[in-house]
Amino acid sequence: MNLRIRTVTAVLLGLYTLLFIQLNLVQLVRADDYRSHPDNTRDIVRQFSEPRGAIVTADGVVVAETVEVEGELERLREYPHGELYAHLTGYVSLNYGASGLESAFHAQLAGTDREIDLKSLSDLFVDRVRTADVVLTIDHSVQRIARAALGERNGAVVAIDTQTGAILAMYAWPTFDPNLLSSHDLDQAREDRFALVSDPEKPTRSRAFQERYPPGSTFKIVTAAAGLEEEVVTPAEPEYEVADEYLAPQTDHPITNFGDSSCGGNLTEMLRVSCNTGFAELGVQIGADALVAMAESFGFNSTPDIELAGVVESVVPSADFYDENIPLLAQSAIGQFDVAATPLQMALVAATVANDGVMLKPHLVAEVRDSEGTLVSSTDADAAATPIEFETARELSAMLENVAANGTARSLQFDDDIAVAGKTGTAEVGESDNTHAWIVGFAPADEPRVAVAVFLQGDVQTGPLTGGTHAGPVAREVMRAALEALIGDPTEQN
Amino acid sequence: MTRQRTTELGLVLVAVVVTVGTYTLAVATDTPTPSSVTPFLIQVVVLLLGAHLAVRWFAPAADGTLLPLAALLNGLGYSVIVRLDPELAANQAAWTLLGIVAFVATLAFVHDTNVLARYRWTFALAGIVLLLAPLLPGLGRTINGARLWIRLGPFSFQPGEAAKLAMAIFVSGYLVEKRELLAVGTRRLWRFVVPDLKHLGPLLAAWGASLLVMVAERDLGSSLLVFSTFVIVVWVGTGRAWYLGVGGGLFVAGAVAAWAMFEHVQSRVRIWLDPWQDPSGEGYQLVQATFALASGGLTGTGPGLGSPERIPARETDFIFAVIGEELGFVGATAVICGFLLFIGAGLRVAVRARDEFGTLLAASLTIIVGFQAFIIMGGVLRVMPLTGITLPFISYGGSSLLANYVLLALLLRVSDESAGETRIRRVVRRVDAAA
Repeated sequence: MNLRIRTVTAVLLGLYTLLFIQLNLVQLVRADDYRSHPDNTRDIVRQFSEPRGAIVTADGVVVAETVEVEGELERLREYPHGELYAHLTGYVSLNYGASGLESAFHAQLAGTDREIDLKSLSDLFVDRVRTADVVLTIDHSVQRIARAALGERNGAVVAIDTQTGAILAMYAWPTFDPNLLSSHDLDQAREDRFALVSDPEKPTRSRAFQERYPPGSTFKIVTAAAGLEEEVVTPAEPEYEVADEYLAPQTDHPITNFGDSSCGGNLTEMLRVSCNTGFAELGVQIGADALVAMAESFGFNSTPDIELAGVVESVVPSADFYDENIPLLAQSAIGQFDVAATPLQMALVAATVANDGVMLKPHLVAEVRDSEGTLVSSTDADAAATPIEFETARELSAMLENVAANGTARSLQFDDDIAVAGKTGTAEVGESDNTHAWIVGFAPADEPRVAVAVFLQGDVQTGPLTGGTHAGPVAREVMRAALEALIGDPTEQN
Repeated sequence: MTRQRTTELGLVLVAVVVTVGTYTLAVATDTPTPSSVTPFLIQVVVLLLGAHLAVRWFAPAADGTLLPLAALLNGLGYSVIVRLDPELAANQAAWTLLGIVAFVATLAFVHDTNVLARYRWTFALAGIVLLLAPLLPGLGRTINGARLWIRLGPFSFQPGEAAKLAMAIFVSGYLVEKRELLAVGTRRLWRFVVPDLKHLGPLLAAWGASLLVMVAERDLGSSLLVFSTFVIVVWVGTGRAWYLGVGGGLFVAGAVAAWAMFEHVQSRVRIWLDPWQDPSGEGYQLVQATFALASGGLTGTGPGLGSPERIPARETDFIFAVIGEELGFVGATAVICGFLLFIGAGLRVAVRARDEFGTLLAASLTIIVGFQAFIIMGGVLRVMPLTGITLPFISYGGSSLLANYVLLALLLRVSDESAGETRIRRVVRRVDAAA
């Protein structure tokens, strides 16, 4: 009988070994498969039911917050200003995960970040709110003016604090309502998302930093910078021939001026009237190596180091490419042919000139504060590169002030005596007659605080757009608002 | 003798520490040290020390590991239940108290297991009555599709839990009386020598009762448990593999018939083979349990920090999945090991028992606990089709807890008797040597 009891023991031991093996499989070996199983909404539902910090603007306006609701998911993510901040905040969706700052700062917002976690041993036992709030550099008043000024025209506005690299406003149209995606009505959210991603206008992609366009004549700032640094030109000389076309070597397709006009003169004059023929010739004189190097030191061909994911790089072709294609180098010198930039990039170019040649790291998040308001982390001004010398920056700055005072960028001028600097751009769109409108600028010209870039997308409906006429007024309003947000009424400063 | 008790006291204190620790973590969501911890600690200590002193008094030579193991499993289960539903936990606490009172009472009143053997037919009758009681109109209640409960005033009780004990006592007593008859073949059936058919009566009766339980009460788990325990104990008692064969055959026949006749049986088999084909329908419970176990990983989410509210029957049949989620692979393994140790200690009691009845009783009681835990953990882990049954000592459920504490007391009684026997033998030997 005892032998049989031992057999029973062995059988039971065998059965329990089976349990143990299966436990290993479920909890360890296959655990990751089960955790990421499409039917497993466990983590997501839990994540959605938990508190999450808010995203607020520099002036304290809440742009993303979590509110308590009835239902299986106890909390709902809401975006009170919807589409105004959609491209920046992104969204948190049950089905599609998180995007934008919601994704980049997920650990801090959700309170899983080590820095916020476990301040003391007793926290081990307490369900203290560990979520943190993300404070943007964006100023709500400037962002709103950017929206009002741009209206429902495809394009983008970027405003940067030239002394810190903080982004004061970044808005693009078309945009979308993130509340549609954070909705708990999953079927509706799926439908809405499908409509958004299949919309040919691509409202979910910000034209400020997720799309790039030929920068047109705003790129002449880069060409001029290269000319000055390479000592090919000075603001005063040489004088370029007044011409209505420029024929580069290796081609018989000439480059013409806007409106087929004639222009020429020294660099100051050529910037003032945005002279294509002279700049094309300058570009060929500078050479591909130096021009491409200058563009790259301004940040082209690399992704801007900003908190958001999915930011696209601005591009210029490689220097080798131009050896056999000198006419295309002439085209590139005036911001056409395969040179493509995001409005964010062009705003950085203007901000760098304004900041005496030092390019500061652009950033959207000023600080992270825990639920008790204690500072967790903050972003300081941080130099990313120094593409041009102090002297070069000052010379460029003076010339761009002249462009705004007497040249193509006159629409940037304020009503009062605060001087501004700027450069327009009108970029051809393929073979069509439609043109994109650009303008970049900064103010005050003598002691810059704010740089802006405005881009308006030209298409069949808009027809040809020009930087001075169309983009200038938008930039002026936003620049003024940003200046006032930073230093109060700028006229009282004097 | 005192060594066993010292071991027991030490291990009981370990169980107290684990229980109170888990409890503290499980309820501590608002304050660092919940005010309920100290009263809880006192209650646990009083209950377990009470049980320990009762063993010291009534069964001083009994095995020292069984009570601590039961206390550990019970305490762990309670800490999980209190985190899931404080109201159920209050009931469970009351049932634990009753369970320990019943434990002490059993030790106090059952001085000699032979008394139980004498009343084996009474227990048989009681077992059948208990099994069938839920079927009586007016008395029985159906919960979750199974008619397992009877209501007496404000209390619901699952008489099947007590019936298991009655069955174990009966079959052990019956085997002691008849095992030689049952072991000897008197008729030849083809190539096998088989015992007289009248001796097979009890086996067939157990089979019939199991089928009845399964069909009428829709309780697959208890049916499987009772029948397999019965067959195995008969084999242990008689040594005739023939019983395993016939029992297995009857089991297969019953299982196939049940599968053919009942949709819910087919459903259990379907979701066992592939719960993913209908993850939000019939496979929901198993799929959610799997997700819970997976999210627990190696060390678990921590007590109180998982999302077990998504698992249906989390306090009862699926409590193992909750433990796997919140205490992780480590905690689930500890539970498996806990039951293995219980089985080991229980079967050691069986091997060392004073007489055959003790051996068979201890074996059947241990097999009941071991199989029951395997059936439900195996169901949750998808080692076998899911049949709803409680996880002994851990799951929420008063009848189950009460019955298991009585079972524990009987095991300790058998153990104490065997040690008493050894003591007498030793004295006899010494007397012989002196003579």
